[in-house]
Amino acid sequence: MIDADALRLALLRADPKLSKFNPLPRILCFDDFDNGVNGWCELIGNTDGNLDNMARYVRDFHPAQLSTCTYFDQGTHGPMSGTYALKAATRPVPDHMAVLCKRLTWQDLGPVQMEMYFSYKSEWNFEPVPEGGREWDGNYHPSEAQFGDIMIGNDIQIDDEGRRTHCALRYVNADAQGNLIRRWKYKTSLQVTRRTIRDMFPDDYLEHPLEDFQVQDPADWEDVPDGYQPLCYNEIPSKVNWHYLRWVFDIGRGRNVELQVNDKVMDLRDIPVPVHDSPYWGLARLLNLEINVRTRVPVRNFLYVDSLLISADW
Amino acid sequence: MRTSHTAVVERNSVFTSSFDTEPHECAWASEARWFVRILSIRQGAELRARVQISPDGMFWIDEGTELPVMREEGLYSIKLREFGGWLRLSADLDGSDPEVKVIIYLVLKE
Repeated sequence: MIDADALRLALLRADPKLSKFNPLPRILCFDDFDNGVNGWCELIGNTDGNLDNMARYVRDFHPAQLSTCTYFDQGTHGPMSGTYALKAATRPVPDHMAVLCKRLTWQDLGPVQMEMYFSYKSEWNFEPVPEGGREWDGNYHPSEAQFGDIMIGNDIQIDDEGRRTHCALRYVNADAQGNLIRRWKYKTSLQVTRRTIRDMFPDDYLEHPLEDFQVQDPADWEDVPDGYQPLCYNEIPSKVNWHYLRWVFDIGRGRNVELQVNDKVMDLRDIPVPVHDSPYWGLARLLNLEINVRTRVPVRNFLYVDSLLISADW
Repeated sequence: MRTSHTAVVERNSVFTSSFDTEPHECAWASEARWFVRILSIRQGAELRARVQISPDGMFWIDEGTELPVMREEGLYSIKLREFGGWLRLSADLDGSDPEVKVIIYLVLKE
C-alpha cells in the first residue's frame, strides 16, 4: 500500500523547482517569473471610467517589471534561478509605494499559504550621507537605511454575508528618519478605501495624498510578537540575497495563522485583524493577494521576487 | 505563444514642465512600442518626447527615436527594437505656462 502523503512529499522534494517550497495540499499558483508576471498586476483604484475620478492615493502604484537584477557596477546579477525576477519599484519620492496584487477567488473556507523567495534593495544613491549620518565603512552601506518597508497582505471576503478584511504584515527595515527598525509589524486599522476616504477628507478626497493607505493612521501598526529579524541586505545595493517567506492565513477565521521567514516562525493566530463594518458589493469569495514596497526617502526601493507559490488546504 | 506586457508608466499624470518617465526594465523583450495619449494640453503647449536607453537604469542616453510633436489631444506612438535592457521617455514641455495630462503606455513583446 503506497502512502499517498509520503509519495506526494517525495515527488515535491525530487522536483528542483518545487523542492524549495512547502505547499499545502493543493497548489493554486506556481509563479516562476522567467515566464512572465503571472498575473501580479498593479493595484489601481476604482473609477466610473473617468480617470479624473480615481483618487490620487490609488493612482500610482506602478506596474510590475521583469528584472535581471542589473546594476551599474555588477552588470547582471540575476535572480535565484533562471534569468528574471518580478520587481516592484517605487518612485524616488518619500512614501511612494509600489503595489502589486494577484486576484483570485476561494473555493472553500480554510487555510491559504503564500510562499516566496524575495530580496530587497535600495537604488544606488550617490548623494553624500547627511551630516551626522552613518557613513560607508567598507562593510555597512548607508543605502541599507534608505530602504523603507515591504508588505504582504490579502483582501478577502470571509463569509456569505459579505464581510471583508485585510490581513497585512509589514517588514519595516528603516523609518523615515533612517533608523534601522528591522521588525515585522501588523496593522491595527483597516486600509483606506474609496468609501472611507470620502468621509476622511470630504473637501479634497480625490487629491489628498496619503503617507500610508494601508491604515487609517500611519501609526496604526503594532509589533508582531518576537518579530525582530535582521535580514541579509548584504552591504551594497547590487548584492542580492534571497530570503524564504511562508505566510499562512485562514479565510474562514479572517486571521493570520503564521509567518515564517527563513528560520524564524511567528505565531500570528492571536493577532486581531480588523473587519469592514459593512459589506461590499461584488466581492463574493474574494481572494486577493498583495505585495508592496514603500520608500521613506527620495531613493527608489525595489522588492524582487524570484518565484512564488500559493497553495490551499481544500 | 509569444509573451507580451503592457505597462502604464504614467496614469492621468499632469505635468507643467519637462519630465522623464521612471526606468523600466525590458531586457526580456525584443520589441517595444510607446503610446502617449494626450488627455488634455493647454493651448500653445508642445510636448516632445524622445526615447532613452541605459545599461543600468541610472545613466541614460538618447536612443535616437522621437515621438511626433504633440500639440493636441490624441494618441501618439513609436516602435523600437534593439534597445538593450532599459527604457524611458524623456519629455520636453514647451510653451507659455504649459500644462499637459497624459497616459503613457509601454508595450513590450517577445
